[in-house]
Amino acid sequence: MLKHHLQLAWHYFQQEYSQPHQKLLRWVQAILMTFIVTLTLSSNTIQQYLQGNLQNLLGADAVLTQKDKLTTKQLTSLANFSDNVVTTLQINATLTFNGKWQDAKLKAVGNDYPLQGQLLTSTSLQSPATATNGGPIAGNIWLDSRLLASLTLLIGDAINLGEQTFIVSRVLIHEPDRLMEGHNVAMRALVNIIDMEKLAFSADLIQYRYLISAEKSQVQQLIDWQQEQLPAAQIHHKLGAHPLALFWQRTENFLGLASIILFFMAAIAIEQIAQVHLKKEQYFSAICMSLGASKSTGVQLSLFKWLINVLVLIPVVAILSGIFHWLVVSWLSGTFAEITWQLNVWLMAKTITTSVLLFAVFHAPVWLTLWQTSVAKLFHQNQKSISLGLVKISALVVLVLVAVNYSDNGLLTLMLVSSILITILLIAAISWTVLTLGEKATQQLSGLVPFTLFMMKQRLLSKSTQILGIGLSTFLLLFTLMFLKDLGDTMTSHQRTHDGNVMVSQASQPQMKAIKQWSKDNEINLRQSKAYFYAKVVKINNQALNKFATKPSDSLATLSQSIRLHWTQTMPTVNRLVQGKWWKKDTKNWQQVSIEEEVMTDLGLTLGDKLTFIIHQQSYTFTVTASHVYKPGAGSITFWVQMPQAAVQHINAPQYHMASLELNDEQLPLLGQLWQEHPTIRMVSLQKLTQQFDAILAIITKVISGFALMIVLLAIIVILSSINALEGKERKKNSVIMSFGFLKNTCLQLNIIEWLITALIIATGAIAGTYLTGMLIYQSQFSLPYQPSFLILFMTLTIILSAVTLLGVYASRHNLKSSVKQLMADV
Amino acid sequence: MSCSIELKNVSQSFQSHFHASYTSEKSASTITLFENLDLSISQGQSYAITGPSGAGKSSLLMLLSGLEKPTTGQGLYINDSPIKDDKVLTLDSLRSEIGFIFQQFHLLPELTALHNIALPLKLRGDKQAIKKATHWLAKVGLSDRANHKPSQLSGGEQQRVAIARALVFSPKFIFADEPTGNLDQHNADEIADILFTCCNENNAGLVIVTHNSLLASKANNIYSLTNGELTKNHSTKEKQVASC
Repeated sequence: MLKHHLQLAWHYFQQEYSQPHQKLLRWVQAILMTFIVTLTLSSNTIQQYLQGNLQNLLGADAVLTQKDKLTTKQLTSLANFSDNVVTTLQINATLTFNGKWQDAKLKAVGNDYPLQGQLLTSTSLQSPATATNGGPIAGNIWLDSRLLASLTLLIGDAINLGEQTFIVSRVLIHEPDRLMEGHNVAMRALVNIIDMEKLAFSADLIQYRYLISAEKSQVQQLIDWQQEQLPAAQIHHKLGAHPLALFWQRTENFLGLASIILFFMAAIAIEQIAQVHLKKEQYFSAICMSLGASKSTGVQLSLFKWLINVLVLIPVVAILSGIFHWLVVSWLSGTFAEITWQLNVWLMAKTITTSVLLFAVFHAPVWLTLWQTSVAKLFHQNQKSISLGLVKISALVVLVLVAVNYSDNGLLTLMLVSSILITILLIAAISWTVLTLGEKATQQLSGLVPFTLFMMKQRLLSKSTQILGIGLSTFLLLFTLMFLKDLGDTMTSHQRTHDGNVMVSQASQPQMKAIKQWSKDNEINLRQSKAYFYAKVVKINNQALNKFATKPSDSLATLSQSIRLHWTQTMPTVNRLVQGKWWKKDTKNWQQVSIEEEVMTDLGLTLGDKLTFIIHQQSYTFTVTASHVYKPGAGSITFWVQMPQAAVQHINAPQYHMASLELNDEQLPLLGQLWQEHPTIRMVSLQKLTQQFDAILAIITKVISGFALMIVLLAIIVILSSINALEGKERKKNSVIMSFGFLKNTCLQLNIIEWLITALIIATGAIAGTYLTGMLIYQSQFSLPYQPSFLILFMTLTIILSAVTLLGVYASRHNLKSSVKQLMADV
Repeated sequence: MSCSIELKNVSQSFQSHFHASYTSEKSASTITLFENLDLSISQGQSYAITGPSGAGKSSLLMLLSGLEKPTTGQGLYINDSPIKDDKVLTLDSLRSEIGFIFQQFHLLPELTALHNIALPLKLRGDKQAIKKATHWLAKVGLSDRANHKPSQLSGGEQQRVAIARALVFSPKFIFADEPTGNLDQHNADEIADILFTCCNENNAGLVIVTHNSLLASKANNIYSLTNGELTKNHSTKEKQVASC
C-alpha cells in the first residue's frame, strides 16, 4: 500500500511540477537551504581554523606581550611558572631599497627560537621550505616572499635599516608563533636579537613577547600573577579563547541577524504559497474521500509529494553550497592566512535535515487541515477553516526557534524581532488609515481611483496578507541595504576625512623633531601635529575592563590594547562637547578626562566614572568629566580620550606625535630618505590609505551585493507568491467587472492603480519601519550614528513605488486573462 | 426608441485538439456548432434558448453579447436612438449596454450584498451608487440582508443580488446563463418572476439560456437549438394570444 502511495505521489508530483505554486516553493526552499548550508559550513571552517590556529600557532603554552622589557625580578618570578622562556622583540619598521619602501613587522629572535613548532625557511623563492633551528645570524635578515617581491630584492642583496646593513640570506616561510598575526597580512622580516639592540630603536616602540612553556596548572598561576603584577600586559594561552574570538563573535552576530532576516522573508513566501497549496490539497483530498479513499491516504499522498519536492532539491543545494563555501573560503583567505577548504559532509547533512524539518513545520498546517477535511468540504466551499491561523502560528514558532538558534546576541535578536512586529503593526495601521480615509474622501468623486480605493477597503482583510508580506520584505530589504550602505559610508567618512596626503600615526619626540626639520628643509607643508602618551585602560571603577564591559564592540576591542591619550588646555576645534563640562584653561585638577561619545555608549560609561590607566608601567586614575564627538571641517586628528595639559607634568612617559603632511608629487620620493633614517616612524600615504580603504570597500561591496541579491530574490518570490495566492480571486473580479460591460483595458488600469496604492502603503510602512529600527538598533548594537537623509528616503520611496508597481502589474498579468465566458463555464 | 441585436447568417465552429489513443501524435478536428443561423433580439422582449448540453447555447449567447466573434457571418447592433447618427453598429459597441447573470451567481465574496449591487455603478463613477443599490436591494426583497456577505446568503438570495447587480446600471440587454440551474423549484420560480418583472420594468431585453422548460415558458420568444438548427417554438404568451 505504502509503495502504491509513493508511486501515486510521484505521479502527482510530476503532474504538478511546473505549476507556479510548486515552482515558487522549490525556489524559496532551495535559496534558503543554500544560504543556511553555506553559512554553517563557512562558520564551522572559521571556528575550526581559529581553534587550530590557537593550538598550533601560539608557538608556546602561553605568550606574554607588553611594551616594556621584563625586569630581572619579573623574569625570576616568571621562571617559577615555567621551565623555558624565549624572548622575542617586534617592531613596525619601514624597509627601503633602491628608492622603494615597504612597511613590515620586524621580529628579532635568538638561537633559542622557536620554543614550540617549526620555523620554516628556504634558500630561494623556488626552493622547498626546510625546518630551521634558531633565527638568522647577526648581520643577516630573512624576509617573506611578498616583501622580497615588493622591494625587488634577491637573496644575497644588502639592505640598509637605520645605520645598519643587513644581508638578505633566506626566505621566511612560516613562524610558529604567529597567532597574534593570524589575521594580519603585514609583511614580515626576521633578524637576530643582537642586531635589534644595535639598531637602537626607541625602547618604547618595541613590543616584547615572551614565549613560555608551562603545564596547565602553571598557566593558571601565570595568569593570576600577570593580573596582579603586570595588568597592562596581554596574555594568550592554550586554555583561553582566540584573540580573534571577539571579532568573530561580532561577525557571527551580523550573520545571525542576516539569517533571521532571510528566514523571515522565506517564511512570508512559504506562508503565501501555503494558502494556494492548502486549497488544492484540501479539494483533492475531499475528492479522494468521496471516492472511498481513507483520510490518511490524502495526508500520506500530500506528505510524500512534499517530501519528493524537497528531496529533488537536496543534490542541487549540496552542489551549490559546496561551491559557495569554496568561494567564501577563498575570499576569506585574504583575512585568515592559511585557511583551507574542506567539505564537512556530516555537517552539511545535519544542516539540510534541520532545514527540511523547519520547512515541514511551515507546511504542517496543510497536513493538519487535510486531517480535518471531510467530503462535506466539497459542499460547503465557504466553511470556516482554522488553517490560516495555524499557518501563521507555525511560521512564528519556527522563526523564534531560528532566531534563538542562529543568533548569539539575545538583545539584538529581540530588537530586530520587535522592529519587525512594530513594522507589521505600522503597515497594518497605514493600510487601514490610507484605505479608510482614501475611500471616505473620494466617496463623492467618480473614476477609477475612488473605485479602487473602495474595492481595496472592502477587501482589506484578503489584501492585508499581501500588503504585509510584501511590506515586510521591502522593510527587511531596505533595512539591510541601508545598514550596509551606512556601514560603508561610516568607513568612508572615517578614512577620507584625513587631511593632508601623508599621515603620521606614531612619531617619537626625536622623530617628530626630524620630521619638522625635514619638512622645513624640503618646504613640505606640515599641517598638524598632536602629542599623546600610550595608555592602557586596566580598570573602570576599580573593576577589571573585561569584567566591566562584556558586550563585544569596536571600543572594547581597541581599549583592550594601548590607546593614544592626548592632552589639551581647551576643547580642540575638531571636537564638540556633548556631555559634562570641559576643564578650564590652566586647571590644576589634572586627573580628569573627556571620552568620545561612542566609547561612552559602547562601554556604558557615565560622567563621574573612574578609569585607571597604565602609562609607562605607572598606574593613574582619572575621572570622566566630559564627553566629546568629532566635528568635521577643522582637520582629521582626533582622540578618543583627552586630559588637561597639566597632567603631562605628573606623568613620566615617552611622548609621541600624530601629524599630517601635504606633499606634492615631486616631494613624495623624499619619504624614502626620511624612512631610511627613521625606519620606525609610522607613516602612511594617502595613496596607500586609499588602497587599504578600497580593499575594505571591495569586501563590503561584495557582502552587500551578495546579500542584497539573496534578499531581492526572496522579495521577488514573496511578491510572486502573494500574487499567486490571490490569482483566483483577482481573475474572478476581473471577469465580473467585464460582465458589467467594461473592457480588459479598464481591468488593467484598475490593476495599475491598485498596485500603485499597494506600493505607496508598502513604501511608507517600510521606510517608517526602517527609520524606527535604525533609531532602535544602530547606536546600541553597531555603534553607528543614525542620520537618515531625507533625499535618499524620497529616492527610495520612488524606487520602491516603481519597482513594486512594475513587478506587481507584470506578475499579475495572468489575472487579466479572464473573460465572462470563464464565469459561464464555472458550473 | 428600441434597440436590437441581429445575427445574420452566422456560423460557429472551433478546432478541437486531442491525443490519439495509441500514438503520441496530436490531432485536430473542426467541430461546427451551428451554420447560417439568423436571430434578432429586441430591447424590451424576453427570449429563451433551450436545447441539449453541448448544442452551443452558451456560444450563441456569447455571440449575441458581442463577447465572441462568429466564424462566419456578422452580428449587428441596431440603435434607434435619435441622438446617435450611426444606427447600425458592430456588436463591439454593445459592451457597455449589457449585463450578465450566471448560474454560479459570481458575487464577490468580500463585499456585502449592498456593495455587490453598487459595484457596477461605483465603477462608472455614479455618486448615487449606494442609494440606487439600496433601492434595487428592496426591489429584489432583500432590504434586511444589505450588510450580509454572499457566504451568509442562501443560493436564492445570492441570485437575487446578482439580478439586482446586473440591472442596477440599466443595461439594454441582460444575458442569463442557466440563472436557476442551482436553485430548487420554489426558489427558481421566485427568481424567474423577479428576473422577468425587473427586465420588463426596465425595458431590458432578456436572453436566457436554460434547460428548464418552465423558466423558458415565461419568455416572449422561445428558441430551441438542436443539431445546429435554431427553431422557434410557440411561447405560452403567443399561444395565449392565439387562443384568444
